[in-house]
Amino acid sequence: MSRKIVEIHGKRLSLANLEKDLYPAHGFTKAQILEYYRRMAPFMLPHLKDRALTLKRYPDGVDQEHFFEKRCPAHRPDWVNTAEVRLEDHESMTVCLANNLETLMWVENLASLELHVPLARVGSPETPDALVFDLDPGEPANLLDCTRVALILRDLLRPLGLACCVKTSGKKGLHVYVPLNHPEATFAATKKFSQAVAAIMQKNYPELVTAKMAKDFRQGRVFINWEQNDPKKTMICVYSLRAREKPYVSCPRAWEELEGLAGQDDPEKLQVLSAAAVDRAEKLGDLFEDVLTKKQQLPHL
Amino acid sequence: MPPPRSQSQIDRPVPLQGIWSGTVSFSLVAIPVQLLKAVEPGRVSFRTLHRQDYSPLERRMFCPAEEVPVPPEEIVRGFEIAPARYLPVTDAELESLAPERSRTIEILEFIDLKEIDPIYYDHPYYLVPLKGGEKAYQLLAEVMHRTGKAGLARFVLREREYLVAVVAKEGALALITLHYHEDILPAGEFSPSEAPRDLAEESRIKRHINQMLAAFKPEKYADERREKLVSLLKQKAQAKGMVEAPEVEAAEAEGPADLVAALEESMRRIKEKQ
Repeated sequence: MSRKIVEIHGKRLSLANLEKDLYPAHGFTKAQILEYYRRMAPFMLPHLKDRALTLKRYPDGVDQEHFFEKRCPAHRPDWVNTAEVRLEDHESMTVCLANNLETLMWVENLASLELHVPLARVGSPETPDALVFDLDPGEPANLLDCTRVALILRDLLRPLGLACCVKTSGKKGLHVYVPLNHPEATFAATKKFSQAVAAIMQKNYPELVTAKMAKDFRQGRVFINWEQNDPKKTMICVYSLRAREKPYVSCPRAWEELEGLAGQDDPEKLQVLSAAAVDRAEKLGDLFEDVLTKKQQLPHL
Repeated sequence: MPPPRSQSQIDRPVPLQGIWSGTVSFSLVAIPVQLLKAVEPGRVSFRTLHRQDYSPLERRMFCPAEEVPVPPEEIVRGFEIAPARYLPVTDAELESLAPERSRTIEILEFIDLKEIDPIYYDHPYYLVPLKGGEKAYQLLAEVMHRTGKAGLARFVLREREYLVAVVAKEGALALITLHYHEDILPAGEFSPSEAPRDLAEESRIKRHINQMLAAFKPEKYADERREKLVSLLKQKAQAKGMVEAPEVEAAEAEGPADLVAALEESMRRIKEKQ
């Protein structure tokens, strides 16, 4: 087993199996994964900061067994930031906080291809700093249908004084984020609001949209999963890789790009692979910056 | 749930709403007028309900080939040239054919009112003078009435161009849209060919007609079926025969009223743009 010792910000890290191909159908080694997250770190770390990290680990590659790790592994280096998260029944668990590059490199050394985070930070677990619409297409609906729904959502929310950002899920759907960054935001409010929006979308576009979880309703429609606005739920972090045949990224897209792609017929055109995601971020900056900084309040609640 | 329909809605609608305004003009005269509906067919209309729970039913477009409902944005017009052969026509193409909205009813010719075969009459409207046009309006109505003339004009209403007759009626002007000549089916084919004259029969018919002669009093006649239907509805309303549609499930999940109203307003604007 090959090992390589690196030092980041004075922290020593032993990286293993760098040549191991974790995306065998496409060809993308662990070294490339580490390099991807290293270059993406300046854009991604502000989104990971102080959020209870859920690791989705693929130690033997995307086509092999994987497991979720919500608890921060006990074998962690002592410099990894952690937090105590309260569970039901007065219990608590220790979670990792990927607040710096060294921690990000350490979790990636554990083959945590996918990084999932909640909508609230550990210091205020009941205060979502964004509202999300998770757009999940039920076949034969696809990413283009999601694009249509996302554009309608944007236009629907604008007159209510709410701007939003959109990213690919990196799988089949899109995630529309409404930045809040407001201390009075609650999950009860974001849930109520997003449910009302999903209901009116379904009412007005019954052939395109469903607000119901049941699989029967989702066929051929885009499911607006508003129930993600919950303190116990997590979303794939922006810029995280996805464990698919190719290293697709949950990547922000400009609204103009969605408008441009909406008229085309190749749903996969919206997907962004790791190399393109890095290029985009380095050239365009963080298109998801508003999600961190823009202060907005949900009206009419 | 919406308030039940009032009695007046069962009884009779109240029309007299301006549907167009502009000028009636010929040579150097231009009279500002408003167009009002002159008739309102008193059809009693019904909603269709689901017998099980009285939910009002919706019509959806359905594709029998794919067995799926079809959303509005996937619907195009097609002119059927043969079974299963169509010429698709887009909204833009149709719009490019629409006549320019006109602000004038331009009288092209004056004709003898009696010359117009009633078969050409399609739909009547009232013309009401607008401010500044009263005098010329009165004058024109009066002269046309006295001389028994009607003005023939072309006029665009709701994206269609009509041939219309401007006629005088008890000191007022009315407008009647006319069928185009090519839309009138020829009567010649079924009028019998010349039969030998039977003078005795002819005078017998004349006598009958004279016996039945009356002044035209249309108010003597009414749509009897409609009257029966209205009295049936009134009876049902008094007998508390009203049923209530169930609340739609989605309505429960809609959310706070103010938010729903704001979203609905926003949605209306989106759909307007589409």
